[in-house]
This record gives sequence, structure tokens and C-alpha cells, in this order.
Amino acid sequence: MRTKLALAVAGAGLLLAAVPVWGHHAFAAEFDAKKPVKLQGKVTKMEWINPHAWIHLDVKNADGTMTNWMVEGGTPNTLLRRGFTKDSLLPGTEIVVDGYQAKDGSFRANGRDVTFPDGRKLFIGNQSPGEGAPESSK
Amino acid sequence: MSPRLFFALGGRALLLFAAGVFAQAPPVPLQKPHAKVWSVPRTPDGHPDLQGVWTNATITPFERPAALSGKPVLSDSEAAAVEEQAAEGRVDQPPPPGDPGGYNQFWFDRGTKVVGTKRSSLVVDPPDGRVPALTPAAQRQQQEAAAYAAQHPADGPESRPLAERCILWGTAGPPMAPGPYNNNYQIVQGPGYVVILVEMIHDARVIPTDGRSHLPGHIRQWMGDPRGHWEGDTLVVETTNFTSKTRYRGADENLRVVEKFRRVDADMIDYQFTIDDPTAFTQPWGADIPMTRSEGTLYEYACHEGNYAMTDILAGARAQEKARPEARRQP
Repeated sequence: MRTKLALAVAGAGLLLAAVPVWGHHAFAAEFDAKKPVKLQGKVTKMEWINPHAWIHLDVKNADGTMTNWMVEGGTPNTLLRRGFTKDSLLPGTEIVVDGYQAKDGSFRANGRDVTFPDGRKLFIGNQSPGEGAPESSK
Repeated sequence: MSPRLFFALGGRALLLFAAGVFAQAPPVPLQKPHAKVWSVPRTPDGHPDLQGVWTNATITPFERPAALSGKPVLSDSEAAAVEEQAAEGRVDQPPPPGDPGGYNQFWFDRGTKVVGTKRSSLVVDPPDGRVPALTPAAQRQQQEAAAYAAQHPADGPESRPLAERCILWGTAGPPMAPGPYNNNYQIVQGPGYVVILVEMIHDARVIPTDGRSHLPGHIRQWMGDPRGHWEGDTLVVETTNFTSKTRYRGADENLRVVEKFRRVDADMIDYQFTIDDPTAFTQPWGADIPMTRSEGTLYEYACHEGNYAMTDILAGARAQEKARPEARRQP
């Protein structure tokens, strides 16, 4: 019964046609599913802006040159409610981003999975509002 | 019984009990402050005070799922099962292959509880808990719009959905309903006006309550033209004069929304709405969505100012046209 109910509820969620299912913008219109990227580098700044927060990071290329990438997340209001502050992701922090590059080939990517080099995860998981930011990000 | 209702009734019983005790014995400090019988607070002009920050986040689906057909209210154990399953569903899953995906679960904030009534859908009218079918004309319009959008996905900003353009969020109202996150509202009252600040995606709904008439029919607005009045302790807001571009769930410019706000206790507003649009829906329909007091504050959304995604989407479409001339947009 529980499974049946759960399936029913999940199906109902998809009926909320007035709201984008995945978020504010259609990521499939912005990012290229054929261009997966794995970026590792140091945060240069984080923009706490709606409708999407953007993390900027310097990524070292194979030839030794440096490229500044921008990585798109969700609404920063959620971060505030989860206990993040502007000091939670400071410039100089090393992160790894798994995502897909922008369709126009610019150095932008969606940042579905953002982790620290040792594997700890940032902006991911199952925290409910009020539970606070994960230890790794403080 | 919801905890709030329990406390409300419990408080009343405690008062009666206390009155009996006091008749026979000297008064003792029995009552805690929260055990007082609640009465609706009022603004200086005597109307119920709806002010504060409220949230309508809930995991109760808007429409009743097919599997719950004929079951308008969940039992306690079923409600618990739904909440448990929703918690399990908040564990992140990778996107399907070949799809850049969306946000991971971290960014969503849909609430964790079913509504206190344990109804299996927010839609309560018609009784099947489902939004009625669109009229044939409205269905045809929707199909044509979808076909055009498929041919012209990103010609310019006007090709994109209203939410992506930071013009209107689908659940900002009227009517207001919960969405994926930021389901927060601040109500402010003053003489002759009620204002509802909607966090998604920046709107302030300014509702005159001074008895003035509606705007002339030729003036059309994204969120319509609202007029409020009080029926007893219930604020009733009637909104007309929508544009034909708002298209709430397929509605057209003949949409008429009636919302009712009623404080039921210290921490809850009972919010109901009815939708009437005879040219778009085959019958009127309505929903009942509790708004509970939020401890938090409302945050600015300022959608347009940071909307980098719009330029990225349009730049992406132009780059793809350049790479594949055959994909260039049709006239």
C-alpha cells in the first residue's frame, strides 16, 4: 500500500504543469547533454542571485593556462533557509563540479554535483530547511 | 486531529475545567499562556489581522492521484506512509543518460507534511479532486501554442515561458498554490488595501478593499485586477481582467478567480479559491490550501536582475543554428 501511495503521489507531482518540473529554467535548453564536463579549481566568487546562484571558479587547463568558469545552481533563498551564509563558500575554496557545458560553448556549466576534492558533497543531499548547512560547507 | 486543533480544543476544555476548580478553591496558576482560547486578532479598523509571513508548502498533491481515486481523505497511517515515502524521495538521483538534469534535491523545498485535513488533493471541487477538462476550444488553443513553441523554441525572449522571463511564476497567483521552493507569502494590511508579497518570483499583489469598481474591460493585467471585501471575518478577493497570455492551467482572459482567506487559529489561514472560466474549463473548480505561519522571513527574489539563464538559452540556440543551418528557425 505504501509503495502504491508513493507512486501515486510521485505521479501527481508531474501534473503540476504550471511549474517547471526541474526548476526555474529548462536546463536542457541551456546546457548541452553531449558536453559533460568535470571541473576542478578554486572558487573566485559566488553570486547570490536569483533565479540561480552562480559559482565562479578558476580551472587549470591541460596546457597550463587558466579559464574562469561559471557554474549554475538553484535559488539562493533555499541556501539561506538551510543555514548557508555568504561566508559558506569563500574564494580560494577548491571544488569539483560535475555538469554539462553551455550550448553556446561558453565557459558555463550547470552544477548539479559540487564536491570537495576529498569527496565531501556541497549543495547536495537531503537536508530539510532548518537542519542547517552540512558541516563540510561551514 | 491536527496538533493545532487539539491545542485549541484542549485549551477550551482546560478553561472550563479551571472555571470549575476556581468555584470551589482559591485560584492557582494553572494555565500556561498558550492554553488561552484563541480569538482572531484584529487590525485597528476592526478587520481580522492576516498579517505575517505564511507558507503553503505541502507534499499533498494539487490533484488527486489516480491510485487514490474515490479516496478524498487519507487515514492517519496512509498519511504517515505518504510522508515517509516523500522523505525517501528527497534522496538525490542522477539525471537520465543524455540529459543535463536539473537541480539536485538540495535546492528543493516542497515541504514535508500532508495538509492537516489529510485530504488526498488540494483540489476539493469537483469531488474527484481533479481539475476539470478544458473546453474543446481551449484544448485546440493549447495544442496550437505547443506546436508553435516546438517550432520556435528560442527565437527570442518572448518564445520562453513566463517564469523563465521572470514575468510570472505559475503559482504566484491568483490563485496561489505551492511549488518546488520559496512557498512564502507576507501579508500586509492598511486602510483600504491588503498587500500580499509573493516570494516567487517578486510580486506584490495590491488588493484594494475600499469598494471601488473593477478596471474597464479593455485593461488587462498579468495577475488580473483584484478587488477585496470582507464577508464576516473572511477576506474575499475577486480577480478578473487577466490577459490572454497568463494562461493559468489553460485559462483564457475570461478567467475569474475568487479567493477566501480566513484565520482559523494563531498559526493558520484557511485559503480557498474557485476558478470560473466558462470558455476554458468545462466546469468551475476550486481548491483548499492551508497557509501556516512561517518562522522565517521573506527573502528578495529579484528575478530579472540575475537572469543570466535567459541569455544563455538564446545564445545556445543561436550557436546551434550556426552549427546546423538546417535547424535555423522557420519563418
